[in-house]
Amino acid sequence: MVDFIQNCLDGVMLGSSYALLAIGFTLIFGIMRRLNLSYGPSIMLGAFVGTLLYLEFQADAVVVAAATVAGAVLAGMYVERLCFWAIRQGAAAASMVSSFAIWMQLEELVTVFFPERTYPFPPLTEAEPFSFGPFFIKVENLAMFLCALVLMALLHVVLYRTRFGLAVRAVSENPLAARFMGINIGAVMFWAFAAASALGGVAAFLIAGADAQITPLFGLWATFKGMIAMMLGGMGSIPGAILGGLLLGVVEAQSLWYLGTEYRDLSAYFLLFLFLVLRPGGLLGHGRATRERAATHRV
Amino acid sequence: MLEVKDIATAYGKIEALRGVDLRVNDGKINCLLGPNGAGKTTLMMTIAGILKPRRGSILFQGRELVGLPPGEIVGVGIALVPENRLVFPQMSVRENLVAGAFLRLAKSRADVERDIGRMFARFPRLEERAEQLAGTLSGGEQQMLSVARALMAQPRLLLMDEPSLGLAPMIVEEIFEIVAELHREGTTIFLVEQNAHMALKISHQFYLLDQGRVTFSGTPGQLAEDEVIRRAYLGTSQTD
Repeated sequence: MVDFIQNCLDGVMLGSSYALLAIGFTLIFGIMRRLNLSYGPSIMLGAFVGTLLYLEFQADAVVVAAATVAGAVLAGMYVERLCFWAIRQGAAAASMVSSFAIWMQLEELVTVFFPERTYPFPPLTEAEPFSFGPFFIKVENLAMFLCALVLMALLHVVLYRTRFGLAVRAVSENPLAARFMGINIGAVMFWAFAAASALGGVAAFLIAGADAQITPLFGLWATFKGMIAMMLGGMGSIPGAILGGLLLGVVEAQSLWYLGTEYRDLSAYFLLFLFLVLRPGGLLGHGRATRERAATHRV
Repeated sequence: MLEVKDIATAYGKIEALRGVDLRVNDGKINCLLGPNGAGKTTLMMTIAGILKPRRGSILFQGRELVGLPPGEIVGVGIALVPENRLVFPQMSVRENLVAGAFLRLAKSRADVERDIGRMFARFPRLEERAEQLAGTLSGGEQQMLSVARALMAQPRLLLMDEPSLGLAPMIVEEIFEIVAELHREGTTIFLVEQNAHMALKISHQFYLLDQGRVTFSGTPGQLAEDEVIRRAYLGTSQTD
């Protein structure tokens, strides 16, 4: 029982980073109804901008964090202009395929300058794990979890208390109606994309910092984890992304403990498989009918 | 007030509007009739700036609208109540109204709040459901919300695309009363309708759109005299 609860604790903290990745994915999907496969690679690029400063100039963590976010946002804007803005509404597959091409491009770009498998990243904290009753808590995981909570609260405030947030929600609910209100949907999509990339940049800094290392494969990893968590929660739903991320984290932590390392990813895919068969809309996804209605309302 | 001249709008190779000319009169209820597929919604979307016409011009109080983005067209004082209502289902009734005033939100939040109060005074049922999600409202309530949301932009010209679509007869009457009331308060209205009987009771000017062209334009009296239109749209002939 103690093991089980310990795994849940670990899983929730790990899952909070998945949740951040999934929020970035779901923001973009919710507002554009299109999948951005190069989300992971663009935040990976951001992390390598951070690493570059760390290795070359021994920059401290705050500078590295800022550089990571800035790099991720710039890469995200590049992807938005090339794969989403340039491709007209309705051609969802073209956006997805071209974002896959940009994925390859970004990954190649990074491996040209960083040919090794892994590079050091400034650790989030040097503190030792502490015990809490019978449980152990890693300080870096706790920090990751708390940062994720703060970011989610911030995102909630932006979405539900600001004019920009209102525009984002209007566009994701009905882009045509949003245009009738005078909302410039191109601009809203661009800035929402940038915001999603910034969230991803913070997630990349936290995840790489918790591991104290970064690899060019991080892009692939982040795209998979973020996408699985998003699909578990329900595509386009932010609370769903959070729940999906936490669920994925807990399931991975449990299978890591009870089944062994090699089953960690396998159990994640199995979970996704179960959801796709039994509950394809995800935990909090909209029903098929509303999604189809939303699709037919677009021009 | 609004002058549409030789507007042609196409979806790819299919020309939905083939040179539309009409004049929406200031301070009147102007009604556009026409069969399905005549291009009525296309004309509304073209005026609202969502669709770009191939040729022609749309003058609003002397200002050219063709080429302006939808946001600027809302800004000059034209708001649209879209076909099928298109409320934001996951937002509360109040948030829908705020969204309707989106362009004014940056200027004065207080003005927007004051106008929400006015809308609630006009539509008490919306006030009762202020915090409810719009998707949970009945069809008639959603239509009221859609009208109120458009009014939040403080339009001088209100475009209404089939506000009676899919509503029960009693609700339709309620909606038409609202239209008449808005007109009395000084809003110019350009209405698309299939329900010619209801439209005949309140409208001052009629246009008939058929296969992308205006084939009739006149007063209710002139409309009633036209045997062909009577048969097609009112379902009666003079021998009845």
